[in-house]
Amino acid sequence: MLTPDKFKIVGYTQEEANKIDRPTISYWQDAWRRLKKNPVAMVSLVVLCFLVIMVIIGPHIRGYDYITMNVAEKNQGSSAKYWFGTDYLGRDLFSRIWVGARASILIALVATALKLIVGTLYGAAMAHFGGWVDDILMRIIEVLNSLPNLLITILIMMVLGNNMFALLVALSITAWCSTARQVRGMIKQLKETEYVYAAEVLGAKPLHIIIKHYVPNMLSILILNASTAIPQFIFTEAGLSFLGIGLTAPEISLGVLISQGQKTLDFYPSQLVYPCVVLCVIVMAFNLLGDGLRDALDPRLRQ
Amino acid sequence: MAKYLIRRFCELVLTIFLIASATFFLLEAVPGDPLSERADKLPVQSREILYKRYGLDKPMMERYVLTMTRMCKGDFGESFVYAGQTVGGLIHDRLPVSARLGLQQMILGVTVGLLLGIVAATKRGTAIDYMVVGLSVLLISIPHLIFGLMLQKIFAGTLRWFPTIGWPAGKDLWLGGWEYTVLPTLTGCFSYIASYARLLKTSMLDVVNQDYVLTAESKGLSKGAIIRKHILRNSFIPVMTQLPMSVGMCITGSFFIESIYSIPGIGQYYVTAVNNQDLSIVLGETVLLSLLYIIILFITDILYVVVDPRIAMPGQEH
Amino acid sequence: MSEKNHILEVKNLQVSYHTYAGEVKAVRGVNFELNTGEALAIVGESGCGKSVTAKTIMGLIKGPAGEVKKGSEILYKGENVLNYDKKQWQAYKGGECAIIFQDALASLNPTMRVGKQIMENLMVHKHMSKKEAQKEAVEMLRLVGIPEPEKRVKQYPHQFSGGMRQRVMIAIAFACDPKLLICDEPTTALDVTIQGQILDIIKDLQKRNNTSVIMITHDLGVVANVAQEIAVMYSGVIVERGKCEDIFYRPRHPYTWALIQSVPRLDLKNKQELASIPGTPPDLLNPPAGCPFSTRCKYCMGICKEQMPEITDFGDGHTAACWLHHPMAPKVEMPERKGGAE
Repeated sequence: MLTPDKFKIVGYTQEEANKIDRPTISYWQDAWRRLKKNPVAMVSLVVLCFLVIMVIIGPHIRGYDYITMNVAEKNQGSSAKYWFGTDYLGRDLFSRIWVGARASILIALVATALKLIVGTLYGAAMAHFGGWVDDILMRIIEVLNSLPNLLITILIMMVLGNNMFALLVALSITAWCSTARQVRGMIKQLKETEYVYAAEVLGAKPLHIIIKHYVPNMLSILILNASTAIPQFIFTEAGLSFLGIGLTAPEISLGVLISQGQKTLDFYPSQLVYPCVVLCVIVMAFNLLGDGLRDALDPRLRQ
Repeated sequence: MAKYLIRRFCELVLTIFLIASATFFLLEAVPGDPLSERADKLPVQSREILYKRYGLDKPMMERYVLTMTRMCKGDFGESFVYAGQTVGGLIHDRLPVSARLGLQQMILGVTVGLLLGIVAATKRGTAIDYMVVGLSVLLISIPHLIFGLMLQKIFAGTLRWFPTIGWPAGKDLWLGGWEYTVLPTLTGCFSYIASYARLLKTSMLDVVNQDYVLTAESKGLSKGAIIRKHILRNSFIPVMTQLPMSVGMCITGSFFIESIYSIPGIGQYYVTAVNNQDLSIVLGETVLLSLLYIIILFITDILYVVVDPRIAMPGQEH
Repeated sequence: MSEKNHILEVKNLQVSYHTYAGEVKAVRGVNFELNTGEALAIVGESGCGKSVTAKTIMGLIKGPAGEVKKGSEILYKGENVLNYDKKQWQAYKGGECAIIFQDALASLNPTMRVGKQIMENLMVHKHMSKKEAQKEAVEMLRLVGIPEPEKRVKQYPHQFSGGMRQRVMIAIAFACDPKLLICDEPTTALDVTIQGQILDIIKDLQKRNNTSVIMITHDLGVVANVAQEIAVMYSGVIVERGKCEDIFYRPRHPYTWALIQSVPRLDLKNKQELASIPGTPPDLLNPPAGCPFSTRCKYCMGICKEQMPEITDFGDGHTAACWLHHPMAPKVEMPERKGGAE
């Protein structure tokens, strides 16, 4: 076993000494890897994909129009003909629910996009200019935050009327504040960190620094923001429409469907149950995916 | 300290002024005028009297100044729709209703939520933990609205255990008529349970990994003592920052719940006023609610300066 | 030295951490003994498993991530602490054995007065009343050299300076007169000027109470000052062990040579670059089959990469695990120090 030739000094090679066994993976690869390992998040992702497909093709599956009334067949329960039954005017609920869900999701997505864009720009402006500009911009946020959100939303709806545009403005008018604060905090903090300073000293171009350091940090804040904002917006939209302050018939969204369902609750509960279930599934899928994303993006959990 | 208080107070006054002005001009932009429905049927002369009575004959800026001065004196205006109904009277009648509903929800929800959070964090990785996590996701994902309708349908409609709508009044306003309050309270408390359970659990798991918990363990303290003396107190800091927001929100009314159960609270009346275009009520209520909200935030801010954890913690023997 | 004199014996200690990536074998079969009243230093670079060893002795390795492997033994006064029940553990932690961590700010509860943090210990292990404990806490603070202890007991950790905080940690550790003290890099986070003071306090108290000390550090300067024996640890195993003088003057392992050479010295005349050890330690996720230092060792031989070296005994407790001491190996001496103009 032990032969003398094994006792020849060979020394080490530079390569060997510096070898790092673990493959180096980027932040995003790592986050994606951890997200993939989270079964709950993956199921939510699949459910969400399914829902997105359904809101696109759902209304066409049964071949019934979502506005055509068929008074002869009103208030029907589930059947082979009408999977989810019909409403008080004999309209196919299955088609209506997917059209409504489409509106709800679209509203939430657009409002979230507005929130993120406005918040990012506003926050970046605060951090970039600093000084009195920062002070004034911060004051504005504080004033907006000293009103209960729902009050502002309702006020805006009242002024702008019950339409899609008004709803988007009303939903996003206060929502961007938290994004702006986070972005401002993140940029200010990054500005101070030594590695960004080092990059500057070493002569890295500003664009390079932004892409390399600011964007990844920003993206994870924005992703988390979006994942909490979307279900929130879906909620608020449904609530407003239910109170008669949001969208109103003949426009349709899950909130409108729920408020119509409530009117016939005592006799035909299924008209309320179906839109409620769809709403809950959408919100739950977004929430669970958001939880998974938060775990995956948290650098402290990186192992 | 005095300087800080004065500065904060000035900010508060300024904020309220800004909110009142902004609301006033926003409402000016509402299309149509609130009296037209009532006034259009009246002869021209009485119409003019009516407009004069509410001051609507004057130009906008003059009305603005008038409204603001009146508000400074504590007069928040009178309903355009229901003659004689003033904002002050409304708040006096309806605020206690909303406040009781909100406080009941909050106390029940926060207590249960914190307990669940502690259980989930201490029994981490067990079936109980997963149950709490699952429950909180479920509770967060089902809107008030749906909960309210569901509970109402099942427990009031089908089982008839509780009345469907209504709220105790008169001498029962604060401590009676519990059967009316059960369903609305339950409906509202679910979101508190979910959010506080999650908040405390996350915070506790964060604290558990701190070095000072290792130190406590190395002292040979029992698990219970470590949780009580070292982990809980430190994990409550984020809860403390969340609580004032909840108090503020809970008193300003639960719009959806009040609407579902026909509870005569501020929230419900606000929605009615908005739907009726009753602008003076909307303006007055907005300003008063914001004032209330800001004062609560202000008080808790001061409390923080007093009990800032890095300076002195509450509940510490001296 | 007779067996009875060992207050602590660690035999074949193996600790692993279970991570997403797999099992990280942080400690892979560590053996050492500690004589009563003496100090043993465990030296090594970051990530070599020395802190994990310390935490294991203190019973601070927690599942499900951390696992002390079966077959490991930690004999305290002849009894395996790994078999202790809950009650015995509680009496052992803090009462028999105490630990001082590196980062005193993080190791003190920020929302609890320092006095109370000392009292906790006294009330649990010495069964003192609140009043007695309070008096004792003041005494302990005085003992570790904190001025105005009556006032200081009522303050919070953030009101102390770095050095003072570490003194508080020492006061907590010594409160119940432990027989065994583990210092996990107690001076690393401190200014050089304060380091000496802290070490002196530990040494004084050690003498006063006849405490046995395990000093974990990466700083050979600290070791020379405090310890009688040294164990050099690399990548989860102890590569060389012996009396302080043996390690400093007659080191046998190439890693020890490299360590000693990388200590900055003021007595060298030539302005030479400071010696360093090239490369990084192996990943403990997949530890190499042979000597862990083989990838960075100037004297690495074929055998080193294939088989763990045997332990060679040089007498008087001086041992080293290196193939260079095999009869078949070429004779190699410790190289002269870089910049050595002795």
